[in-house]
Amino acid sequence: MNTIIKVENVSKKFRLYYDRPLTLKERLVRGSKGSYKEFYAIKEVSFNIYKGSTVGLIGENGSGKSTMLKMINRTMFPDIGKIIVKGKVASLIELGAGFHPELSGRENIYNNASIFGFTKEEIEAKIPNIIRFSELQEFIDNPIRTYSSGMYARLAFSVAIHVEADILLVDEILGVGDMNFQAKCANKIYEMRKQGATILIVTHDMGTIDQLCDYAIWLDHGRKMAEGAPKEIQLKYTEYMMKKQEEQKNQEEQKIQE
Amino acid sequence: MIERINEIRHFKEMIKSWTKKELRTRYKGSFLGFLWTFVNPLLQLIVYSLIFPFIMKVTQENYAMFLFVALIPWNFFTTALQGGCGLMVYNSSMVTKVYFPREVLPISYTLSGIMNMIFSYMIVFPMLILFRIPFTWNMLWLPVLILTEGILCLGVILLVSSVNVYFRDLEYLISVGLMALYFMTPIMYDMSGIPESLQKVLIFNPITGFIIMFRDIMYYGKGLNFELYGFTLCYSTFLCIIGYVVFIKLQRRFTEIL
Repeated sequence: MNTIIKVENVSKKFRLYYDRPLTLKERLVRGSKGSYKEFYAIKEVSFNIYKGSTVGLIGENGSGKSTMLKMINRTMFPDIGKIIVKGKVASLIELGAGFHPELSGRENIYNNASIFGFTKEEIEAKIPNIIRFSELQEFIDNPIRTYSSGMYARLAFSVAIHVEADILLVDEILGVGDMNFQAKCANKIYEMRKQGATILIVTHDMGTIDQLCDYAIWLDHGRKMAEGAPKEIQLKYTEYMMKKQEEQKNQEEQKIQE
Repeated sequence: MIERINEIRHFKEMIKSWTKKELRTRYKGSFLGFLWTFVNPLLQLIVYSLIFPFIMKVTQENYAMFLFVALIPWNFFTTALQGGCGLMVYNSSMVTKVYFPREVLPISYTLSGIMNMIFSYMIVFPMLILFRIPFTWNMLWLPVLILTEGILCLGVILLVSSVNVYFRDLEYLISVGLMALYFMTPIMYDMSGIPESLQKVLIFNPITGFIIMFRDIMYYGKGLNFELYGFTLCYSTFLCIIGYVVFIKLQRRFTEIL
């Protein structure tokens, strides 16, 4: 099988400033860069994702899932290690990036799609489909400052989902619009999957992983805990979470006793 | 490096649509809209032609035009500095979420500045007739000068847009700095009117050369001073390269800082 994303021994350090001196004055006055603590958002993680697979990335809040996606998306760069991505990446994290409130829906579709590096012809060919998908035909030539937040999200989502990418990154977003629209989105993802796109889903909902994915990777505090079949990972993850909850409970009880 | 340039070329459509967006949204929502691009310099010119001969009693012939042909390149430069500063910060929602070559934003901003300059000069030509300043073939150097100033402004935008991500104070420093620079640039006076020792200092102000040359070809009807042009071109290219080197180095951490 062909590897489409190769993550090799990747670490990413973040600086956690206690009091981040944002201004030049503060830097000059204190003469220091301010005190900070370094921590690893991702530490020595390696995995391969194969072409055409649907992979779930699970973990608690702060486990480094989103950082991982951002690095695959090339908005962040690893400090150590290498990430090789073969193909066009689209992600459903960036909904409505670069939308301008004064421009019309149509113009915003155009601008938003151009960020993905499409040519004029490609964009023009896509526009009717995008508009149809968004169900905003009547409002498409109005400035989007007049849109409701639901309409805005639908427009943004419609553009993102029509980027014909080799790799689709999904970051727990399927909460856009009403039930009908959500179902449409899920169908579209299934369709892309059938057409051979590789999909990487980030979530902490085990149900999604079980339903959609054929492989799962579990991250915890920036480290890879396990990877394998979704069922297997689900078991380990749930077990771990239960244990953790119990520990917390015990600690609280101890506190109360004290 | 060549890879990088190819990638930027791939995003040609984005550069185009962002340039257009920059031009269109500047005056969006106002009654005159895009017309302001023309009306603004026109009104400026009217104010000057009333103030200087009648209130300030300046004896220089056609002082309003003398000032105006120099103010257009100056405005391009100040917009580059001031607007360029906020380029990454104000577009942070996009920069942190989507991958695209970050150079696209400075390039589009430069192009929109060049377009604005061309529109302003469209006002200048009918005014030259009105002020009875003769047309000469030397005015054909205008596009060359505009493009050369584009190199300088691109460099400046690359530099300030990336540095401002780290030091937000830059924005405020620049607005004060520009006021000082305004008086150290031969806009309100002629270079020949100041002591020679001072002339040698002023020439290291990167915009000075442009102001002199724009005025030479548009106001005095003189040819291009090739020695000065050569110096200015080299100086601008040098600053542009510095700006790009800094930009490349700083852009890796944009997402974390923003």
